[in-house]
Amino acid sequence: MLDQPRPIALAPPRGIGRSLLLTVPMALFTLLLFTPVLRQPGQPAKLAALIAWGFMLALFFLMMRTRETYRWRRIFFVTLGFLFPVGFIWDLVALRSSMSIPIERMLFGDTPFCFMVIPMTLIPAALTKTIIFPGSILPTASNPHSIAMMVALWLLATVILGKAWCSYGCFFGGLDEGFSSIAKKARVRKINPKWRLVPWAILVAIVLLSAATFEPIYCMWLCPFKAVTEFPEVRSVQTAVQFGIFIALFLGLVVVLPYLTKRRTQCAFFCPFGAFQSIFSRTSIFDIRIDKEKCGAGCVLCQNNCPTLAIDKESIQTGKTLSTCMRCGACVDVCRKNAAVWHIKGTPVGVSPERARLLYLYAAWVFASMFGGSIIANSLQKLIGLLV
Amino acid sequence: MNSMTEALALGFGSGPVCLASCGPVLLPWLGAEPRELRATGRLLALFLGGRLAGYLVFGVVAWAAGVALPVDPHTRTLVFGLANFGLAALLGISAFLPRRRCPPLRDEPVPRLYQIGSRDRFRPPTALTLGFLTGLNLCPPFVTAGVRAAATRSLLGALLFFAVFFVGTAVWFLPSLAVSPLRRFGVVSTVARMTMGALAIYYAYLGIVCAASWRLAPSRTADFFIFITGMVSHA
Repeated sequence: MLDQPRPIALAPPRGIGRSLLLTVPMALFTLLLFTPVLRQPGQPAKLAALIAWGFMLALFFLMMRTRETYRWRRIFFVTLGFLFPVGFIWDLVALRSSMSIPIERMLFGDTPFCFMVIPMTLIPAALTKTIIFPGSILPTASNPHSIAMMVALWLLATVILGKAWCSYGCFFGGLDEGFSSIAKKARVRKINPKWRLVPWAILVAIVLLSAATFEPIYCMWLCPFKAVTEFPEVRSVQTAVQFGIFIALFLGLVVVLPYLTKRRTQCAFFCPFGAFQSIFSRTSIFDIRIDKEKCGAGCVLCQNNCPTLAIDKESIQTGKTLSTCMRCGACVDVCRKNAAVWHIKGTPVGVSPERARLLYLYAAWVFASMFGGSIIANSLQKLIGLLV
Repeated sequence: MNSMTEALALGFGSGPVCLASCGPVLLPWLGAEPRELRATGRLLALFLGGRLAGYLVFGVVAWAAGVALPVDPHTRTLVFGLANFGLAALLGISAFLPRRRCPPLRDEPVPRLYQIGSRDRFRPPTALTLGFLTGLNLCPPFVTAGVRAAATRSLLGALLFFAVFFVGTAVWFLPSLAVSPLRRFGVVSTVARMTMGALAIYYAYLGIVCAASWRLAPSRTADFFIFITGMVSHA
């Protein structure tokens, strides 16, 4: 979060008993989700699953108790962002003893499918019924991260949560959120709002170029997270240039700029999948509204604290956040007048915002536990195995 | 007659691939400046006209050389490199030097001398040139048409084959007029310009790759002269 003082809690914290009571349904449901992981053979797997389950529940309990969302979600999200590469790289090294993937393995369909590819596959799939990605549709022994599984997960999350995928589901966003949380004050404060349009431009460019070349252009040239996951083996000048671009983009967009601006620069000003996900922000029934009457003169704390510049003066006037809002809850938590509120579409604004928040959090946290929680458990298992 | 039907069917059948191939250049260009539907249609017609010119040039060369891929690999690399540099330059210019509009009329005394038309920077006939350059680029349907045109006995036949092939593909470009209604969203123009900037970098990269391949290839000058003399003698 940015330079402003901590929010003044208008409502007192919930009682411990009541907070526990609200946590019980989540505990029972997530226990069902974690059961397969808990049944895995070996002590490290069981211990890792227990830690991950407890971690998710503890954060949910704190969300209930303090009535704050952003702070606790950020802890989960940053943990996910930093642990995902650990487990992923571990698996890659175990499979191939290298982070790089040789072209032969690509041709065998061994590249794990990533949700970032989805927008690029749409036009070629519609035109030729071909998925332009060197992965496999169904899970295989050498590639458990199949196309069908990832698309199904993405679809489920998108229908329910919409753009909140970028705050609860994306296993990359936690890295730049983590780096944006390091500095106490932003070194770069003035950001031209036109930068918010860059992800749309990149989205259009990569979708068109992928349709023209039948190659996932973003994965080949622009993905900053290739630097910490998997990249084509450097065998030619082209692959060397690609690798250089991955490293430069990662350092620039995920490390340096978030540190300087205290914003999620990769997510807000570069990620084409974020732009693609904004299209679906209408599918979710949950959104954030700004009660104009309560807001009054407008302190613009919400605008200044939004990690992705999804609130501007115009949106405050209209009472709605922009379509790029990731439902992270920073604006709601920081608002001193309770003007920024959680909202369920079709209901009056500000009538029972806490109820809307609870419903949203149940949906979002179940998904976060199922998807992110299992990734955290997987990575923890590797680390525990290393120590024990 | 049969060959014309074949050309039309080939063009219509492979039109989506042509659209996908030209889309990265055409769609951002159409979206870059807010225009009425009629003006967008005029731009599209210009683009397609340029593309037809590119096709016809290719048709002439295909017929003259009498082979499927008419130009030897080294020269072809050079032509593609130049076409890509041209695309990069045009997209870059269109992205970063937007067309200036005439200033709005004000209630002021009319000056004694004034300029008619906009005080625009020099701008090449962009739509036509973009169409021509994309028409020169080699896409799979284009190669197929080239193979067929190469087998045609007369130059006129080869040109007609390419023209009818072009008509078949052009049908698929009509949906791109749907970009026009998007002009009511003010940000579309800005996004389209940014997209053109990104694509300019991509085409410049392709141009550099082609130029590097051409530079490293042996006896390129000799091959080029052999090709030209062969083409002239064949004609």
